[in-house]
Amino acid sequence: MAMRGLTVFIADIRNCRVRELEEKRINKEMANIRQKFKDGNLSGYDKKKYVCKLLYMYILGWDIDFGHMEAVNLISSTKYSEKQIGYLGITLLMHENSDLVRLVVNSIRKDLDDNNEIHNCLALHAIANIGGREMAESLAGDVHRLLVSPNSKSFVKKKAALTMLRLFRKHPDVIPAPDWAERITNIIDDYDLGVCLSVASLITALAQQYPESFMMAVPKAIMRLHKVIVERDFSADYVYYKIPIPWLQVKLLRLLQYFPPTEDPNMAEMLHNVLQTIINNSQETPRNVQHNNAQNAILFEAINLAIHLDCESDIVRQATNILARFILSKETNVRYLGLETMAHLAAVTDELDEIKKHEETIILSLRDKDISVRRRGLDLLYSMCDVSNAKTIVSELIRYLHIADYALREEMVLKIAIMTEKYATEHSWYVDVILQLISSAGDHVGEEVWYRVVQIVTNHENLQEYAAKMVLHYMSSPHCHENMLKVGGYILGEYGHLIANIPGASPIEQFNTLHARFGLCSLGTRALLLSTYIKFVNLFPEIKGAILAVFNQYRHVLDAELQQRACEYMAIATMPTDDLLQTVCEEMPQFPERESALLSRLNEKTNQTEDKRTWNIGGKDSNEKTPANLIAASREKNESTSVDDLVSGMNNTNISSSAGTKDEEGKPTANGSSNPASQTNAASKPGLAWKDQLAPGYEIWYNRLRDGADGVLYEDSILQIGVKSEYHGHLGRLAMYFGNKTHTQLNSFSVTVEAPEGLVIASSHTLATSIGPSTQIQQLYSLECQQIVTEVPLIRISYQAGSIQSIYLKLPVTLSRFIEPIQLSSADFFARWKQIGGSPREVQVVFKSSEKINLEKARSIIVSNRLGVCDNVDPKPGNFVATGVYNTSLSGKVGCLVRLEPNRETDMYRLTVRTTSDIVSKQLKELLQLALL
Amino acid sequence: MAINYVLLVSRQGKTRLAKWFTTLSPKEKTKIVKDVTQLVLARRAKMCNFLEYKDTKVIYRRYASLFFITGVDPSENELLILEVIHRYVEVLDRYFGNVCELDLIFNFQRAYFILDELLLAGEMQESSKKTVLRVITQMDAMEEEEAKEEKNK
Repeated sequence: MAMRGLTVFIADIRNCRVRELEEKRINKEMANIRQKFKDGNLSGYDKKKYVCKLLYMYILGWDIDFGHMEAVNLISSTKYSEKQIGYLGITLLMHENSDLVRLVVNSIRKDLDDNNEIHNCLALHAIANIGGREMAESLAGDVHRLLVSPNSKSFVKKKAALTMLRLFRKHPDVIPAPDWAERITNIIDDYDLGVCLSVASLITALAQQYPESFMMAVPKAIMRLHKVIVERDFSADYVYYKIPIPWLQVKLLRLLQYFPPTEDPNMAEMLHNVLQTIINNSQETPRNVQHNNAQNAILFEAINLAIHLDCESDIVRQATNILARFILSKETNVRYLGLETMAHLAAVTDELDEIKKHEETIILSLRDKDISVRRRGLDLLYSMCDVSNAKTIVSELIRYLHIADYALREEMVLKIAIMTEKYATEHSWYVDVILQLISSAGDHVGEEVWYRVVQIVTNHENLQEYAAKMVLHYMSSPHCHENMLKVGGYILGEYGHLIANIPGASPIEQFNTLHARFGLCSLGTRALLLSTYIKFVNLFPEIKGAILAVFNQYRHVLDAELQQRACEYMAIATMPTDDLLQTVCEEMPQFPERESALLSRLNEKTNQTEDKRTWNIGGKDSNEKTPANLIAASREKNESTSVDDLVSGMNNTNISSSAGTKDEEGKPTANGSSNPASQTNAASKPGLAWKDQLAPGYEIWYNRLRDGADGVLYEDSILQIGVKSEYHGHLGRLAMYFGNKTHTQLNSFSVTVEAPEGLVIASSHTLATSIGPSTQIQQLYSLECQQIVTEVPLIRISYQAGSIQSIYLKLPVTLSRFIEPIQLSSADFFARWKQIGGSPREVQVVFKSSEKINLEKARSIIVSNRLGVCDNVDPKPGNFVATGVYNTSLSGKVGCLVRLEPNRETDMYRLTVRTTSDIVSKQLKELLQLALL
Repeated sequence: MAINYVLLVSRQGKTRLAKWFTTLSPKEKTKIVKDVTQLVLARRAKMCNFLEYKDTKVIYRRYASLFFITGVDPSENELLILEVIHRYVEVLDRYFGNVCELDLIFNFQRAYFILDELLLAGEMQESSKKTVLRVITQMDAMEEEEAKEEKNK
């Protein structure tokens, strides 16, 4: 609703033709409002109106130093329109560190907790707009709740996600991102594309900081992209000029650039399809500017991702052709982006040939009408420079330097200097270029550049004479920049004697050339030249007289530094012997090899933004140290803490192996709940110890399947999980069935398998992320036993039902699954039995059966552990002898011999296991004993 | 990767709206507004819509007498930011019905509310025109109702 008073006021201001009139009107209004506020007793409407007037003045650029309290009051109004203006007021007028923030925090919390979502939204906007430390600390938890709560409406979730992003950017320490990672990542699957977009933005920021915790975002992002781009599954509301939600596409394509390429072949294939589809779509002629921009925005992001994944792939080759077309485009935007993306490619690839084909076009871009394009051209030339084209590029750049924008020159000089040093094949070329640079763009040549020349000339003996000759030449020209004088002074002082015999370079001529400009240059340079002169005294005693005159003159100069030098040099030069002079002026030692100061200077310029760029401008080597592998970096960081983990792991051993040790004690206990310590531990370190989080009661199903049977592994009111398996040698196949028992869809469904060491488990395809009502989905795993495996794999199933539910289970893939039964004759059996011998390869146990011994059952247990029962081997009837071979693909085979002696009177068993590996013996004994109990 | 600010500036260099997504002192803000306005107003028609200002990129687009200017991180996807601007203009246009500079002057608070629905924390919050307009109309309806109640009192 329009406020008349406000409208009139705005119209008044607009009628003020000159600034003085406007100021007068403003001051009048301010005085008026101040008075009204002071009188108090204003209605909500009036308060709203006056705050609006203040805001308008604020936008015009006037300082507003009152009215904050009234805005704060409006926030707690019951009327939406007043609340809204109150919030607008504080977001515009209030600084994040203002004292008033404390007053607002409580109102905001109230609105966050309100049942009215519209109020939630206003509060979220306020947090996102102000976002101070105090707000972050006291409200981050509430924001998180709104984001992950199943009861939150889509439009609240979106805002909560971005509000959290803002808090994270300002105060990363307040957001426990790794703890929240899973629930946040799962929202990528949200049906609402707007929610998905907001969360993708949030994750993109969090993942740069915590790449490990957000690894699971990779498959989710790929699947979502596939869904939108390849399967074309999206709501029509989100189509922007024929392109489905370009913002989400770009965001997800960018997110993937912060992770290393996926190792899952199915995912890689999916992603390849996505990228190829984007490239194909780009061939379509766009209808209008919007369509064109959206299409190209996605294309450029896709190309950047493709370059990140593998810069020599076929997709990148196709992209290079597209880029070549782009840099010739009539549209300036496209030319700009074409150059930028090509610079990205040039910065990471070995294959510069394709880009070099367009060298001419790129050089021409330096003469583009638009400075933005010229800058990109410069970046690209710098990135694509190598030994073969350095001369052309550098000479073009030097030529361009004369007419280049002032804003660009310093950067250009720096880049030319770096390229010349890096790609010089002849030293003389290096000297020529740098001196030319100093003489023609002296003002833009930073100190680093001439320091570097001195270092390089000092370290390369064959360069010294040439350099001396050239500096003298440059200094003889009528215009000579002071920087040239500095280089010249240093180089002649060190190596002037090398050219002293050349006509025109005699000692006195060298001295005169330098001294002609002595009076015109700064104090620093004069000091440097005085040092050169004392070196001359040492090198050329014949001109000592002329030099002493200069020292003598400067002994009386006002500047302390110059005076001191002159006095000291004078003293050294007039000593009775030259011993001290010679020692002082000995040739400079070589400089130690160090990183070029130029490069660090350039990097300093580029690495200042918040976003972790996935690449730097420059050749491949400038990117090798900083690849997008944040992961690698963070792993390194983690290694230093791994000692702690080890210690806690050791403390944990009795706890975490309790699943196994209960067999030895012979008393099955309710696992997990028996030890409270293990539970707290698991809670504080999620994902660390799956074993401690196994679903209660899982053993009942697990034990039933342990002998290799097919059947139900887990069941509750929502989910039923079934298993089927078959094994052959060291290989196996395991099918898992996940059935949704409810009448609603299960979302964010995911399954993760943690294989023990030595066992390789691969899934056949990517599992759907949702299960329809009363539907079942299936996953097939192939197993390979590579080494002796003592543990069973663990599996985690998680899905969303209200909140995220996770179920941890053991998979019944025991050691005996990889045994093949064999039959041995009595003689063979005992021969091997003796060969293996006693402990440690023999393990024996005597234990009481929990029920009456049943020979048939005992026999079937042995058989189900894939051992072949050899009848008529043991002389005593009723005893069992069984044999098998345990297969691994890398550690060979292990022969297993088992003898079981039941005592039916006492219901006791004696079990003896002998195998060629003590580990296998122990494991096999435990498996059999557990089954026989 | 984010938008740092959105400015609406008239051809005469008057600020019509300024929205900041980063914390800056009033002095810094004034400096940016001044510098960026100057840079953008000096650009000629055929030039590209991007330019560099200090360590950020400025992406702008002109609609009639108004420049819509954004300052973004250098790694931001430039073309897409242009379309963020366009989407904002489209929503304004639909809401006001052939929007002109005067609409934005007299209803500046609306311009802010609409921007808030589109962008939050410098990121695209909602790209569907329909959804944004639905929220805004809902707000208007609530306001209208409250005004009616007021009258009846």
